[in-house]
Amino acid sequence: MSRTRSGLASLLIAIVGLGVSVYLTVEHYTASTTLACPENAVLNCQKVTTSKWSHVGPIPVAVLGLVYFVVMAALCLPAAWRLRALLTARVAAAGLGVAVALVLVWIELFKVDAICLYCTAVHVCSLLLLGAVLWTTAAEREAD
Amino acid sequence: MPGKPKQPASRRTTPAANRSAAQKSVLAARSGTSRWMSVGLPVGLVIALVVVLVVVKVASGSSKPKSGQAATGASASVAAKVTSVPQSVLNQVGLGGVTAPPKAISGAALTADGKPRVLYVGAEWCPYCAAERWGLAVALSRFGSLTGLGEVTSSGSDVFPNTPTLTFHGASYTSDHLSLTAKEIYSNQVSGSSYAPLDALDAADGQLFQGVGGGSFPFLDIGGRYLFSASYSPGILSGLTQAQIAADLANPDSKVGKAIDGTANLITAAICVSSNQQPANVCSAPGVVAAKAALPKAT
Repeated sequence: MSRTRSGLASLLIAIVGLGVSVYLTVEHYTASTTLACPENAVLNCQKVTTSKWSHVGPIPVAVLGLVYFVVMAALCLPAAWRLRALLTARVAAAGLGVAVALVLVWIELFKVDAICLYCTAVHVCSLLLLGAVLWTTAAEREAD
Repeated sequence: MPGKPKQPASRRTTPAANRSAAQKSVLAARSGTSRWMSVGLPVGLVIALVVVLVVVKVASGSSKPKSGQAATGASASVAAKVTSVPQSVLNQVGLGGVTAPPKAISGAALTADGKPRVLYVGAEWCPYCAAERWGLAVALSRFGSLTGLGEVTSSGSDVFPNTPTLTFHGASYTSDHLSLTAKEIYSNQVSGSSYAPLDALDAADGQLFQGVGGGSFPFLDIGGRYLFSASYSPGILSGLTQAQIAADLANPDSKVGKAIDGTANLITAAICVSSNQQPANVCSAPGVVAAKAALPKAT
């Protein structure tokens, strides 16, 4: 894959992650008006997004995810890829996103006892984003 | 004999050029390999970590949900208090502690035997159903006779664990004004990795449950006009017993009384929309009239 294509792939993944994060943020803030259980008790987004683990201090994790993907989408714009100074910062941000996703998976499995499929979609986006960023960064460095 | 045609100068390669091309090719192959490594190693490591987490979770056996209190018949005292909340208390509460009013829905009117029909679909493990059943039972008792209620608690592992409640599984209802279909399609007892199925839904009700309610619990369709989920937070019932909750129904100043009696008034007002405000003594009660203001406009 050319570095232009992989750069665009990273932008696309960040946009998909952003879309799912927007949904989770809306769900977080409107859950109190739809007091209902899902048909499946294990795949239970509401249990995850309204658990005591769904905040870091006063900030909902869903909002943090949204901010993360906004930042990553900006860092993965074609213009941003042309700035050599951002190469390391972009890799660090993508790595941080995956590290946080791993912690959240652990919380879902061992603390909340439920899986949210939308959260899983965000985690997959984080991992794919890391892959695309690493690939494009390596290609950029080889081109130098 | 004609000689070999000469290669144009630009296509002519020298041994040095050949070596350079080969080196480039080797370098390209090496950089491709190192790029795959720089991506594959961290991504592979993350995937391996997730697999380890899932395997540990499954091996620990802690992924199973936890059963709630097994169903028993409601005590005579609880049943009596739920089915005969004083009118004066209901009037005093009005909308009370309702925080989530129903949605107006469109489509064919839901009727049976020439009467408006109430379709309730719930699950005994569901904490939001646990909250809504109390108000539903109080409201239904204003239109007819509700017997055979049970007592259960919601799941021990979901949000608002072990919320004390009633169950409609096995209950009977007779009314001159209303038809009721109440199904608890899952129990609160764990079976395998989920909860044991309980009541069966017929195909038409199953379509309404999935199509109108999106398959979430509680599904409370009043005459095809209003759709209720839970009307207040199950947290209000946390730590109480069924007997304490039933006793609080007669106390218009208690949090429990305000939440449940307010829900009952709102459900009653929704039923009255489908029953043409019959019976008049119920539908014109001040508590019902006050709650009616919170109903969205029927479509």
